[in-house]
Amino acid sequence: MMIEIKDLTQEFSNGKGIFDVTFDVEDGEVFGFLGPNGSGKSTTIRHLMGYMKAQKGYAKIKGLDAWHQQSSARSHLGYLPGEIAFLDGMTGHQFLNMMAGLQGVHDKARRADLIDKLQFDPKESIRKMSKGTKQKVGIVATFMHDPDIYILDEPTSGLDPLMQNLFIDLVMEEKARGKTFLMSSHSFAEIERTCDRAAIIRNGRIVATENIHELQSMQRKAFNVTLTDKKEVASLLESEMKTEKVDELTVKIELQGNYDVFINTLSGYHVKNISADDQSLEEIFMDYYSKEEVQS
Amino acid sequence: MNMSFYTQMMRINLKMFLGFGLGSAIYVTLMTLMFPLLNDNMEEFDKMIELFPEPLLRALGLESLSSYGQFISAEYYGLFYLIILGIFSVMSAIQLIARLVDRGSMAYLLSTRVSRTQIIATQILVFVSGLVLIHLMTFAGGYIAAEFLVDIESNIAFDQFFYINFVGFLLFFAVGGYSLLISALFNDERNAFALAGGITFLFYGMDMIGKLVTDIDWIRNFTPFSLYEPGRIANDEVDILMSSIILGSIGVIACVLTLLIFKKRNLPL
Ligand SMILES: Nc1ncnc2c1ncn2[C@@H]1O[C@H](COP(=O)(O)OP(=O)(O)O)[C@@H](O)[C@H]1O
Ligand SMILES: [Mg+2]
Repeated sequence: MMIEIKDLTQEFSNGKGIFDVTFDVEDGEVFGFLGPNGSGKSTTIRHLMGYMKAQKGYAKIKGLDAWHQQSSARSHLGYLPGEIAFLDGMTGHQFLNMMAGLQGVHDKARRADLIDKLQFDPKESIRKMSKGTKQKVGIVATFMHDPDIYILDEPTSGLDPLMQNLFIDLVMEEKARGKTFLMSSHSFAEIERTCDRAAIIRNGRIVATENIHELQSMQRKAFNVTLTDKKEVASLLESEMKTEKVDELTVKIELQGNYDVFINTLSGYHVKNISADDQSLEEIFMDYYSKEEVQS
Repeated sequence: MNMSFYTQMMRINLKMFLGFGLGSAIYVTLMTLMFPLLNDNMEEFDKMIELFPEPLLRALGLESLSSYGQFISAEYYGLFYLIILGIFSVMSAIQLIARLVDRGSMAYLLSTRVSRTQIIATQILVFVSGLVLIHLMTFAGGYIAAEFLVDIESNIAFDQFFYINFVGFLLFFAVGGYSLLISALFNDERNAFALAGGITFLFYGMDMIGKLVTDIDWIRNFTPFSLYEPGRIANDEVDILMSSIILGSIGVIACVLTLLIFKKRNLPL
């Protein structure tokens, strides 16, 4: 087990925090940690990094307690903080040199390779860099010492789509080399491309830990279908799918795995336009809860 | 201690260290250059000084100006030096810990195998290095000016001038020590700065008031500033060893507490 979190609890004075958080991340796995803003993702990660002492339970990295043995536990990690804050008055190079000194690993070739991939000028003063470029410097610092485990707190927020793809490539490359990832996010779409499994956290509590395909099938997809005449709209609304009239010619169809029915039904109509309407994380939760309630 | 981190932190802070060091050195040099002027007009100056009330003269260390040590104490070490070094000590102590926690950059420093204790020990060393640098530059400024630029025969005693700087260094090691401790306790940089600055100002004020109002001079027993009396060091009137031991101990104990507290606390990084 690379990461082991059991009954981890930290209640802040305002009553917020994390409560009995429990999950494991296995060797070579890319694990998503999914939850809306303020749900407790960063707080959980802060325990793994040894910044906070658990009130109850524990967090372990490769069997090492993340608080009591924090420096040996951290020696296995590459960490990308959620909000990157650098030291004043440094160039990218100076910062990376300092980090290499702290990491105790000076793999110049790997660093140069990463800088090359992400394409930025490390000689620039960090203060003058754009937000995206700062994020790139942070990514290089996280990856350059070739750690066994990566802990990434909302890594792709702040990256443009091109950079996001580049970053996902980087993660997949490292995964192919057998590395383990814990990656937090507030967006399902961001996680589903890379992760094997994911835990969903809400109000400080884990509500589900599932295989990513399980979660995908749970996700409802909605499509807005625009037809050409009102009679067809009326007949489509009669079909066995979950439908809803949006305006005169447009019908919203909600799908949950039944894609074949959707295609077959629509083949009989004259379709002017289809647009996808992705479900938000909150909506997935709502679904998850209603499913739980039905089962119990 | 981590060498590469120490080097980077020194590089970042060097400008500030050199700025304070240079300011201090230039001031001492200029004052030293003025000493011969005063030395030649000592009688008139003494007459002028008699016009001031005695407690005020005592508070400012202006009682006697006949030797270089007394002169430079009165003109620099008794007032401006305390203000400049006070600002330096509080400011850098807050910058070295509380600012990094407040802004979140401590997250990066604590993302590797390097322990909290190592990081803070390095920051303490950076502070002490800055303090040493400033005092070396100040001492060199006075020494070089007196030795090579002005023509004074006998009355510059470098032993005393050295002790004035040395005990001053220990005073601000103590001030920096408790400021580092406060810096390690707070999440908010501004609160840490306000508290450390406030306490330092209070200690300084207690020493001043104790000197001005003889009735309550016991108040000086509760401030480290009373252990630094440059005018009396110049006159060989104080037990330098005793003050040094007390000031050094305050600094060392504060630094040890800083390490212990920072090791135990939750960090909002
Ligand atoms: N040091 C703290 N003191 C009080 N409340 C906190 C502290 N840190 C986080 N919180 C609260 O705990 C909740 C979880 O925060 P966080 O873990 O940062 O969420 P996430 O990373 O999922 O967005 C939030 O409501 C936040 O306001
Ligand atoms: Mg967060």
